[in-house]
Amino acid sequence: MLEGFNTSGTVIAEHINEALVINLWISVVLFASVVLPMVYLAWKYHESNVKNEDIENITHNTALEIVWTVVPTITLFVCFWYGYTSMVTARTMPAANESITVQVEGSKWKWRYEYAANPSGFVHKLGGAFTKPVRDENGKIVQEGTMGLSALYVPVNTNIILNMTAPIDDVIHAFFVPAFRMKEDVVPGRITKQWFNAEKVGEYDVECAEYCGTDHSYMYSRIVVLPKDEYYAWFNSSDDTPKGDYGKSGDAVLQQHGCKSCHAITTDKQLVGPTLKTRRLTKEQVLDVINNGQDQLGYAMGAMPAGMASGTDAEEIAAYVAGGMKGDQPASFAACSSCHGEDGKGQYGTSPSLVSYDVDLLRNVLKHGKKGMMGTMPAFPYVSEAEIQEVAKYLEAK
Amino acid sequence: MSKSYFDETHCAIGHPKTKVMQWLLTVDHKRIGIMYAAVMFTFFFVAIFTAMAMRIELFAPGAQIMDGDTFNQAFTLHGVIMVFLFIIPGIPAVFGNIIMPLMIGAKDVSFPRLNWFTFWLYIVGCLIALSSLWTGNGFADTGWTFYAPYSLNTDTNVITTLVAAFVLGMASILTGLNFLVTIHRLRAPGMDFFKMPLFVWGIYATAWIQLLATPVVGITLILAILEKYFGIGIFDPAKGGDPVLFEHLFWIYSHPAVYLMILPAFGIMSEIIPTFSRREIFGYRTIALSSASIAGIGYLVWGHHLFTSGMSDIAKTIFSFLTFFVAIPTGIKFYDWIATMYKGKVILSSSMLWALGTIVTFAIGGLTGVTIAMVGSDIHLQDTYYSVAHFHYAILGGVVFLFFAGMHYWYPVVTGRLLNETRAKVAFWLNFVGINLLWFPMFIAGYYGMPRRYFDYLPEFEIYHQISGVGAAVILAGLVLMFYNFLSCWKKGELSGTNPWNATTLEWHLPSSPPPLENHTKVPYVDFNPYEYHHGEPVVKFDYETMKRID
Repeated sequence: MLEGFNTSGTVIAEHINEALVINLWISVVLFASVVLPMVYLAWKYHESNVKNEDIENITHNTALEIVWTVVPTITLFVCFWYGYTSMVTARTMPAANESITVQVEGSKWKWRYEYAANPSGFVHKLGGAFTKPVRDENGKIVQEGTMGLSALYVPVNTNIILNMTAPIDDVIHAFFVPAFRMKEDVVPGRITKQWFNAEKVGEYDVECAEYCGTDHSYMYSRIVVLPKDEYYAWFNSSDDTPKGDYGKSGDAVLQQHGCKSCHAITTDKQLVGPTLKTRRLTKEQVLDVINNGQDQLGYAMGAMPAGMASGTDAEEIAAYVAGGMKGDQPASFAACSSCHGEDGKGQYGTSPSLVSYDVDLLRNVLKHGKKGMMGTMPAFPYVSEAEIQEVAKYLEAK
Repeated sequence: MSKSYFDETHCAIGHPKTKVMQWLLTVDHKRIGIMYAAVMFTFFFVAIFTAMAMRIELFAPGAQIMDGDTFNQAFTLHGVIMVFLFIIPGIPAVFGNIIMPLMIGAKDVSFPRLNWFTFWLYIVGCLIALSSLWTGNGFADTGWTFYAPYSLNTDTNVITTLVAAFVLGMASILTGLNFLVTIHRLRAPGMDFFKMPLFVWGIYATAWIQLLATPVVGITLILAILEKYFGIGIFDPAKGGDPVLFEHLFWIYSHPAVYLMILPAFGIMSEIIPTFSRREIFGYRTIALSSASIAGIGYLVWGHHLFTSGMSDIAKTIFSFLTFFVAIPTGIKFYDWIATMYKGKVILSSSMLWALGTIVTFAIGGLTGVTIAMVGSDIHLQDTYYSVAHFHYAILGGVVFLFFAGMHYWYPVVTGRLLNETRAKVAFWLNFVGINLLWFPMFIAGYYGMPRRYFDYLPEFEIYHQISGVGAAVILAGLVLMFYNFLSCWKKGELSGTNPWNATTLEWHLPSSPPPLENHTKVPYVDFNPYEYHHGEPVVKFDYETMKRID
């Protein structure tokens, strides 16, 4: 059972559970009203107990037919009524001025939360991707999957309204909190709403319930319900999380923005995007840029035209660059060095380094997104300069 | 011995000499039905093995035999095959073809060549659907519902699956048209609508759904294709479209489609129960009209798939309210069937066991459907294992189980042989125990918050997945045993004679078994009700040469 499933104490969970219990008993009674007579009649009138002369063709019994039409109908509409009233509880949003409104964004495959500005004008932004559990070859968990400190932090006994949406080029997700019995789709280009009021301090799992692709099964998040004073102490500060050390390290930044869903950090494995371990371009990537040019990275030098080299020259360059530019430089590299420099390290802010993804490249890819070999990497315009520096430092140190 | 439809046939083109060409070109409704069954059950087993692979993956948390992307393709393959290739053609394509014309005393369907064309259209659809296993970027990973904008954004080969679903929909429309005309025009003289066997009523109600609802999904799929490849901006929010509109359009067809699946199955139940109770059915008109009313109300309830999709609360309330009106006629049918056993003589043959077993499993499937028709509970249970379990109890434990019941019941008509009853009963119990082990734990897992379409899950849910895994193995054993029985008895079974069950309807009054090419020797005059028994014996008897009553 998920954490807090039976103790969440939200008024919605209470009403929906009430509806479920009533439905359960009605179902048990209706089920029995079908199956018990069936078993009884199959036994009572089994061929071994019946002589042909005793068979009677009874085809109507008005009283009985009225009973088995009217009684189930009434019970069914009791079900409808409880379904309706519990929906009213779940769907009637509390007044905005008596609630805390949090903006929720679901995207492949992370949940992000943005709070209103606090009294000193600071805006808390939280959330991110779930770190998958690590297993050894036998499937034993070496390291539990975790949200780290990333969570939706809310105060206890307070109405929370979630204004939910997904980026316009993303897909549909659903914000599902089993313990609170609440769920609503998160639709690109729309704002959907949910609300809850948690009466118990604790941590509650969030799952994505609408199928959204590769990491649908890992699109978890967490709701942390805090005592009011703890919540406000954090909210009024500019600390990243109530516990204070969230979002500082490059690792945490990578997690928060969901980079790890698509990029391997510590291994050479190619996931959705290239590995960040060597921070080297692959041969395919280099060839792709040579053949198709590159005009999305926003360097001061402007777009790189397609076809700067071709045929074996291009192959040679690609192999050289992908190999970390070690060994003898091929003559054909001259086609590159005028912009990227003799050593291939580019010029700061003007043209990218070919040796490895440096901070400029990271910044430009994050700001502008990138179309490449492996599909499109979306832009992450909200990543701050400080975060970019942290990530670059972190990757450098790896 | 007289010639049966296995010995001679009419063909769409010419008079081919070879057996193979005679089958490929046949317009005989019975042969076409058999070919549908052969193809459909081949695909059925492909989808079963895909499902087994998923169950093995899910046996423990973590990725064992496949990663997330493969799993996503696996459940899409399973869903596409089971829904579009197997269960939508389903009972109408097999028994609607083989049995329905026999039941109304016709020589064939109204348009035999169209029937032949439809079958091959279905084959083309199947080939297109499966071609994407080997072409493009692999089989679609969208789920069988193709929800936008996911289906618009994915790199996998969605177009073939969409086109296939469109072609298969076309085949479904033509089948429905053919059956509607057949039932209206080719009933034996004297057989008015309320003298038709209830299976024919089921096929009739279904045919209207096929004809009227399928075009909606056709349009939807075309729009999705135009959206994906030409960017017309109907569903894609980035272009001002609305992804929720896709859900509406999709379910306007796909919800009536589940009634299209179940109504002929209910028809099979209504044949088996009176035959093996040796008495007239209770409430004939109620059962017939409830099929028709389910078909009608079924159009108005699609919105219950969208209770958490951002639809307005007033729309949710209305759709929930209307949905309950489907439950009422369904419930009444159940009581009618059970009342049919009262003061009858119940013979627990294998087909009767399947029918009674289905009353249990479909009751569970139906009642759990009530839970998620309630808006409040659905907010919690939508897209969890609860809905998965509900759906499989209703479709496997309802439609497919009754399909199997029909296969046991009509086996003698089709093959002229009897099945091995002991084997058939063992297979039934394996399936019956298997389905409950496989899906009942999912209700609990779903209630506790296990979302559907997860290839990896939190350790809390492991126990439910393991019980399910065991159930899957049990049900697979049952299926293998049952199909072994079907195949081995085809040649080796005892000869059945024309009416082994003492049944009353016209498909049991044929001159030989298996029946001759053009069915009844003469068209009978029907001045009797379909299930007339007196003291456990069929009232109506025929001279099979003249088809005159001799009782």
